[in-house]
Amino acid sequence: MAQILIDGCVLSASYALIALGITLIFSVMRLLNFAHGELFMIGAFMVYYVYGVYHLPFAAGLVVAALVPALIGAGFEKFLFRRVMRIATREENAMLLAVGTAILLDNVALFLFGEEQHGVPETISGVLQIEGGFLPYQRLLVVILSLALIAVLLSFVQYSRPGRAMRALAQDRDAALLMGVDVDRTSMLGFAIGAGLAGLAGGLLVTIQGVNAGIGVDITIKAFIMIMIGGAGVVSGAVLGALVLGFAESVGYSLLPGSETYLLIFIALVLFLIVRPQGIMGHPWG
Amino acid sequence: MGLIRLPLAPVSFALFAAVMLLAVPLALAGQGYWLTVLTTAALLAFGSLGVWLTFSIGRINIAQGAFALIGGYVVAILGTRYHVSFWLALPLAVLVSMLVATLVGWPILRLRGVYFAMITLSLTEVASLAFLNGGGFTAGASGITSIPRPALLSSSLAIYIASALLLLAGIVIAWRFAVSPAGAVFRSLRQGEELAASLGIDIARYRLLAFVASSGMGGAAGAMFAAFQQNIFPTSYTVNDSVNFMLYCFLGGLQSVAGPVVGAFLLVIAFQLLSAIQKYQALLYGIFMIAAMLFLPNGLMSLPRVLAARRRRDE
Amino acid sequence: MSLLAIEGVTRRFGGLIAVNNVSFSVEAGEILSVIGPNGAGKSTLFKLIAGFVKPTAGHILLDGKRIDGLRPHAIAARGLVRTFQETTVFREMTALENVTVAHHLRRRASIAAELLATPSVRAEQKEFLSDSREILARLGLAGLENELARNLPHGHLRALGIAMALAVRPRVILLDEPFTGMNSEETERAVEIVRTIRAGGVTVVLVEHDMGAVMRISDRIVVLNFGTLIASGTPAAIQQDETVIDAYLGRADEIAAL
Repeated sequence: MAQILIDGCVLSASYALIALGITLIFSVMRLLNFAHGELFMIGAFMVYYVYGVYHLPFAAGLVVAALVPALIGAGFEKFLFRRVMRIATREENAMLLAVGTAILLDNVALFLFGEEQHGVPETISGVLQIEGGFLPYQRLLVVILSLALIAVLLSFVQYSRPGRAMRALAQDRDAALLMGVDVDRTSMLGFAIGAGLAGLAGGLLVTIQGVNAGIGVDITIKAFIMIMIGGAGVVSGAVLGALVLGFAESVGYSLLPGSETYLLIFIALVLFLIVRPQGIMGHPWG
Repeated sequence: MGLIRLPLAPVSFALFAAVMLLAVPLALAGQGYWLTVLTTAALLAFGSLGVWLTFSIGRINIAQGAFALIGGYVVAILGTRYHVSFWLALPLAVLVSMLVATLVGWPILRLRGVYFAMITLSLTEVASLAFLNGGGFTAGASGITSIPRPALLSSSLAIYIASALLLLAGIVIAWRFAVSPAGAVFRSLRQGEELAASLGIDIARYRLLAFVASSGMGGAAGAMFAAFQQNIFPTSYTVNDSVNFMLYCFLGGLQSVAGPVVGAFLLVIAFQLLSAIQKYQALLYGIFMIAAMLFLPNGLMSLPRVLAARRRRDE
Repeated sequence: MSLLAIEGVTRRFGGLIAVNNVSFSVEAGEILSVIGPNGAGKSTLFKLIAGFVKPTAGHILLDGKRIDGLRPHAIAARGLVRTFQETTVFREMTALENVTVAHHLRRRASIAAELLATPSVRAEQKEFLSDSREILARLGLAGLENELARNLPHGHLRALGIAMALAVRPRVILLDEPFTGMNSEETERAVEIVRTIRAGGVTVVLVEHDMGAVMRISDRIVVLNFGTLIASGTPAAIQQDETVIDAYLGRADEIAAL
């Protein structure tokens, strides 16, 4: 029981980074980032190379894990999405473009990093025992860092000028324009930060789960599940979604084989969405 | 009916049919490999026509893979375990797909935009996982193999002709939907559901009709694939495949019925031609998708229009 | 018996009462306007009547039969149609296609017959096409049949929306701000259109802010303020009504005080 709670917390904390990232991108650009899992994967590989292969400090690895995906995200927004969203006659164009970027990143990664699974050595060793459950310090570190990053992000969005611009854009694009918000720059920043969060989550989780070039799609789907549960474009929804998914996984994996857990999660999700399509915190949406 | 600006000139169709049913068999009779490629293209095009129908009511349907999987498994299970003839299993596959689509579609079609996209994506995953965890009934991860070839369809050529006929039938069905009053209703749903309802259109019923028709076509495509490849696995259709159906529609263009057909054939054939660079195949795929969205957002069928507009601008 | 009867209709959204125990009736053949300051509950009332929102309490009767709780398309089938402010028309279709699709309720053929293009379907379609042309001409849109709706100017969009509503052959038509955003010339045309609609035997209920047009065209006026019906009567009576003047002035004071 304690183990389930512990595992649930660990998963939820890092999943929250993923969910917040995709939520940020969705709320600023009204875009579903199909490549989110690939950005996570790239972040994980950055830590693998910087820390695991070149033996530089883990912190340095995390910085790279945030920066590289952020740059990719900024580039996507500036050179791809900005243009397509301006010329597109239908909203699906941007979505298909996002799918294209995901495929691109998947295959570039496969090409650069190969197919094999990779892991990294522990940054802290040792295990904490709580109430009959085991919490490796590595996982505790992941939780602490995740929570710290979430706090930084939320403060940034709440109090900084660019953060306020992003919130303005999320709430009412036209009003934001009238107030002088630089839509292009804000969108680019939003995408970069969202991508950076995904990369950071990957960089943190690689210390627990390792990485291979194929995990992109699975992580993207998890991100989608979280925002479906919590509500797309709402920060509290992202966190709630992460909590629900993290604990659903920890409960499920302790009782059932992996794929059965996800079957149940999906069925429950579909049924939930039938009743409440906008998710727990979402705005009613057509 | 001169209202509809969706071109399917009878001449083009006749030409296409002639190429598919006469030219190809004559030219490629012995070439199993290319017949297989064209069979694949035809069946994927057929599935894409279904997705095209759901696009016409304004929904982003990422569930077609699920229905292809359902159709395939119906044929597989009925064929291997109960020795049911394919010609009976095929309509049953379509029926089961349509039944599932009705049950699932009714509640989810209220959703639109990214919500509908995400929930249909989830459906593709559910289908895959369900068949993986179906125990003895679906044979789990090992899938079902040695599905018997249908009577009358033992050669690659015969299978190709059957698939080509199915595609031609699908084109006619989609076209009939497009030019009929029902098609106008579909398009009105995309452009204003509330307005349509206020004019007396039962929007729930028409939405369901489009989705069920689409899913039936997906099931049929899956059934044919199962019979032709003679196997099916839970991973036979994944989210990638559901997305591909969408891609073929978009690449060709959503304006006309020909769009998904053009898209599917182009990509499938191009890929086979690029098989020499198999290593980069998927990468090129992604690049191609991006380029298409950047430069031809309305699909290939809009190319003549785009070029004409550009010429007019330069004059 | 009145054609349309609103009886004690209330609509709550959480703690907010948008429409509060409103009762009035509409007689066949009249033009009735619903006015009131912003936020008075007029558009909620419209949505309630047309079936897009269900009343929390009260009944709505068309021809003596209840229509509250029915879905919009069922209410349209009973003869009550509404126009919209925002999505007035189907933008990617031509004007002619728009009006033709609005003939939906008059179709006799099944969908299967439509797919097979049977002779009766083709005859029906021909009939609807010519009827559509006639309606478009009646509303001054004759030359614009093959124009894409999204290319039409604002005033024509409104007229097209009305043309579509008329194609349903309704008994009652709910016009949502038919004069808003129009200059005086367009307003004149719109006023004429509304009169033509009534002359064709259709009862008109409209929501509007343009007082001039409302006073000119209405047989009776109903005034809402904060979701409550505060007055009803002829235009002359309403113009003298103290509570109505207070309501509008009161709002002006509120705004001035900000």
